[in-house]
Amino acid sequence: MSRRLAAGGAWLDRSRPVTFTFDGREVGGFAGDTVASALLGAGVIGGFRSPLAARPRGVMTAGVEEPNAFVEIAEPWFEPILPATTVAVVDGMRTVSRAGVGVLPREAVTARPAATTHCHVDVLVIGAGAAGRAAAAGASGRVLLVDEHHVVDGAPDGVTTLAGTTATGIYDDGYVVLYQREPDLDRIWHVRAREVVLAAGAHERPIAFAGNDLPSVMLAGAAREYLDRYGVLVGERVVVFTTNHAGTDVGIALADVGAHVTIVDAGDGGPAAERALEAGLEVHLGAVVTRAQGDGRIEAVTIRTADGDTRTLEADLIAVSGGFNPTAQLARSIGAGLVYIEDRACFVPDGTGPSWLRVVGAAAGEVPTSHPMWVVAEGDDAEKYVEPQRDQTVADVTAAVGMGLSSSEHVKRATSIGTTIDQGRTSGVITAEIVNALLGWSPGTQGPTTARPPYTPVPFSALAGLETGPLLTDPIRTTAMHAWHAAAGALFEPVGQWLRAWYYPRGDEPKDDAVARECATLRRACGLFDASTLGKIDVCGPDAGVFLDRMYTNRMSTLAPGSIRYGLMLGLDGMIFDDGVAMRLGEDRYLVTTTTGGAAEVLDRFEEWLQTEWTDLRVYCTSVTEQWAVATLGGPRARDVLAAAGTDIDLANDAFGFMTLREGTAAGVPARVCRVSFTGELSYEVHVDARLGLHVWEALMSAGQGFGITPYGTEAMHVLRAEKGYAIVGQDTDGTVTPEDLGMGWIVNTGKGDFIGKRSLVRSDTLRPGRKQLVGLLPDDPSLHLREGTQVVATADLPAPPVPMLGHVTSSYRSPALGRSFALAMLADGRALHGSTVHAVVGGATAPCRVAEPVFVDREGARRDG
Amino acid sequence: MVELYLRSPLGHRAGDLARLDAVEVAHLAQIGVRCAAPDATRVGLPAEPNSVAGGADRGVLWMGPDEWLVVGLPGSAPAIVGEFEAALAGTRHAVVDVSANRAVIELRGTSRHAMLASGCGLDLEPAGGWAPGRCAQTLFARAQVLLQEMESATRVFVRPSFANYVADRLLATRRE
Repeated sequence: MSRRLAAGGAWLDRSRPVTFTFDGREVGGFAGDTVASALLGAGVIGGFRSPLAARPRGVMTAGVEEPNAFVEIAEPWFEPILPATTVAVVDGMRTVSRAGVGVLPREAVTARPAATTHCHVDVLVIGAGAAGRAAAAGASGRVLLVDEHHVVDGAPDGVTTLAGTTATGIYDDGYVVLYQREPDLDRIWHVRAREVVLAAGAHERPIAFAGNDLPSVMLAGAAREYLDRYGVLVGERVVVFTTNHAGTDVGIALADVGAHVTIVDAGDGGPAAERALEAGLEVHLGAVVTRAQGDGRIEAVTIRTADGDTRTLEADLIAVSGGFNPTAQLARSIGAGLVYIEDRACFVPDGTGPSWLRVVGAAAGEVPTSHPMWVVAEGDDAEKYVEPQRDQTVADVTAAVGMGLSSSEHVKRATSIGTTIDQGRTSGVITAEIVNALLGWSPGTQGPTTARPPYTPVPFSALAGLETGPLLTDPIRTTAMHAWHAAAGALFEPVGQWLRAWYYPRGDEPKDDAVARECATLRRACGLFDASTLGKIDVCGPDAGVFLDRMYTNRMSTLAPGSIRYGLMLGLDGMIFDDGVAMRLGEDRYLVTTTTGGAAEVLDRFEEWLQTEWTDLRVYCTSVTEQWAVATLGGPRARDVLAAAGTDIDLANDAFGFMTLREGTAAGVPARVCRVSFTGELSYEVHVDARLGLHVWEALMSAGQGFGITPYGTEAMHVLRAEKGYAIVGQDTDGTVTPEDLGMGWIVNTGKGDFIGKRSLVRSDTLRPGRKQLVGLLPDDPSLHLREGTQVVATADLPAPPVPMLGHVTSSYRSPALGRSFALAMLADGRALHGSTVHAVVGGATAPCRVAEPVFVDREGARRDG
Repeated sequence: MVELYLRSPLGHRAGDLARLDAVEVAHLAQIGVRCAAPDATRVGLPAEPNSVAGGADRGVLWMGPDEWLVVGLPGSAPAIVGEFEAALAGTRHAVVDVSANRAVIELRGTSRHAMLASGCGLDLEPAGGWAPGRCAQTLFARAQVLLQEMESATRVFVRPSFANYVADRLLATRRE
């Protein structure tokens, strides 16, 4: 039976009928309807279930406070669970009832498109009711007025207005997050406002009486909204159960359009009761509803009158108004307190909180006076529902207090009341007052639990905004030569945010083969490596050398211009933090390199010490990581290739030695060429303006064709450096490793003055025996490729747990140069174990490995020194 | 000769940028200048935070209390470096050619501020003080950017390795 009136419904567009489905059933409505209003209009009373007891439930409210009626939106987009009272229907929408719990489908679903906007205003007004509109009209500057409803009536001129927009949270300094639902788009607004006006109104409160969870027990104000805004008369024989005049006025309005209305007022009625009598309504003052009865919906209502008589009335709707709760959640979550107002039987913001936040209108407590009633005494407490969304009754609250709980926060956790989608909007105050009464405290002694943002549910898809698909993850950083690597078929590995060429398979060449080929080619002929991602910092000023002496463990100030020195940086704890080389470009200028992942941290550390501790040092640091592209040419033919590419630099070994640099040209463009080596081969790092990086790369590859050049990636680089025993900070170290642990005590210059971490190198723990030290590991089975992270123990037979552990494998590869597998490991007192056998735990068994010095290729460095 | 070999970070995205009513301004000279405020004033660097001094051929962007970015025409980097090295000789300073350190996207459409507002928390409206002659270092989505407001355009300076990301993120605003 349709309950839609032939006319009326201010928010409907009756010229635009829409059809949607609810649990497979077709339902008609109009543009402007919510799922709830359309269901009620179509005569669907009930249709929902409670989550635990599966009791029949129906729409109880007309807004975000709804505790019963939840739907999944299955089409045209997916949303697992929303109050039916807040979902605007669209044609073709498919909805499914949900009993308080959403269900995620197994298949991928369509989320609503979403966007994000940052916005700055002078005044943000939340709520476009009378108080909000007045505040907006009186505000100056940039004014934004928002309301969660899909229609905003009478917005003042000169004010930007957003309908269908909920303030989900108010944060420090006037930062407010809004969730806007446009017809085809969700949008999150990040608003910074000088002043925030909270005019969010008030939510009507139900009353706990026996049978109060039956469908067609509804808040009185909701019945009024369905009539005025949606043209739906939700009941024809109505019992209004009220504690205040607003409920009575709803009864009068319903009677105006033909309903038979009885007013049951727990209080003394006042002028509203007289208006009701004048309108011909039956009015009972000092009376209460003691029981609602019916099979899946209201059929009869039992009332107890002031003189104690009990009467049963035929009815199809109970419209309840137990007073109003000012909507103070958003103010409370940013620091406002609550104070109890006795004549209105409610909690209102107490005026504390940030100075830029103002609460006005009903949210500030401008609500009708109310007879204080939360629970009807008569009837079985186990039938009086406090939290229908959790099937919790007055009896459950009583049981929680019986267990010794007295705080509403504790009762919430014991009963799950308020742990709901609406965060206890209808249940919170009632629960607190039941507890107050049970403990003999006066009303208002304690208030409801704190609600926290978001004010209403926000889909993750809305929070993601535009950051979906490839934009969901961190930005992917690529070098100037990236397109070349991709065209050459390189596979890439992520290093921090960077995507680096990993290896370059030929056709369907397996990874191991490709890496072995790249390694062998480099050791035999030559290879080219994209080292552009290395962090680079220009350190400039007369005190640059002194500054670097303090940052690194060794001395940089004695470096001659044109020379290069490797350096380690320690943390204050003496542990290795980063490494790189320092190149002295001139008397007052160095260029230092960092690891790819450490670039930003190292610059931050430089700036921190310069700005906070050593403000007297005349040094400026500039990040030039991306100013320079770096192509590293290595291998016995590297010199020939560079010469073939064309350079004005004298490449003869005695003119341009290891660990020096030259400025000149390469492949026809200005270049800084540096002789450093991480592979142990003769190497030239060619640094050029990053915009010339691709040119130089292509020129070197082209020049190298006659010398058998190969591009090589990070994997081959890792193998090659491990063959030389060069540790990678962050792979072979983990923040607990000192230079001495790596066997690099030689790089710590304790005679040069202070440097970061120096003090910690003489801590007893740093000096104790038994620390893990870097060693080489050669499995007895030369084909065994240990996994990085493999545990290393002393005995072949594993004892019962806990198994004493010597250490672990930090790097492990197959070496074409050695013709076998090898590994680096950190082992307790590892250097004393050279030549002995230890055991790697592989699966449930162990594999014997010989401990070796961690240098496997060209111990003398003859190849590198070229 | 060298100019022939220069590749700008977004040279391959011209079509995408056109959809945004944007162009890459390639190969501008960009020189980082660090010095103390009194020396800066002496050599004509702007003292007002987040302001830009200069005209079409050369702009000086205030980056911090002791940091500026001088932006000049393509090819002018050596001259600018020489000029500031000479002017600041004898003082604590650093002059660094960082011409390749940032790509420059120039947004020219009327919706450019709305596009940026999808990922930038700064107030980019005139009522908030944003107008030609202003600049600011900030974030656009997850990339650090330097914004410079010009007559009828906004320049977005971004590290080249982030340039594709920023272009993609700007293009995403077109999905709305």
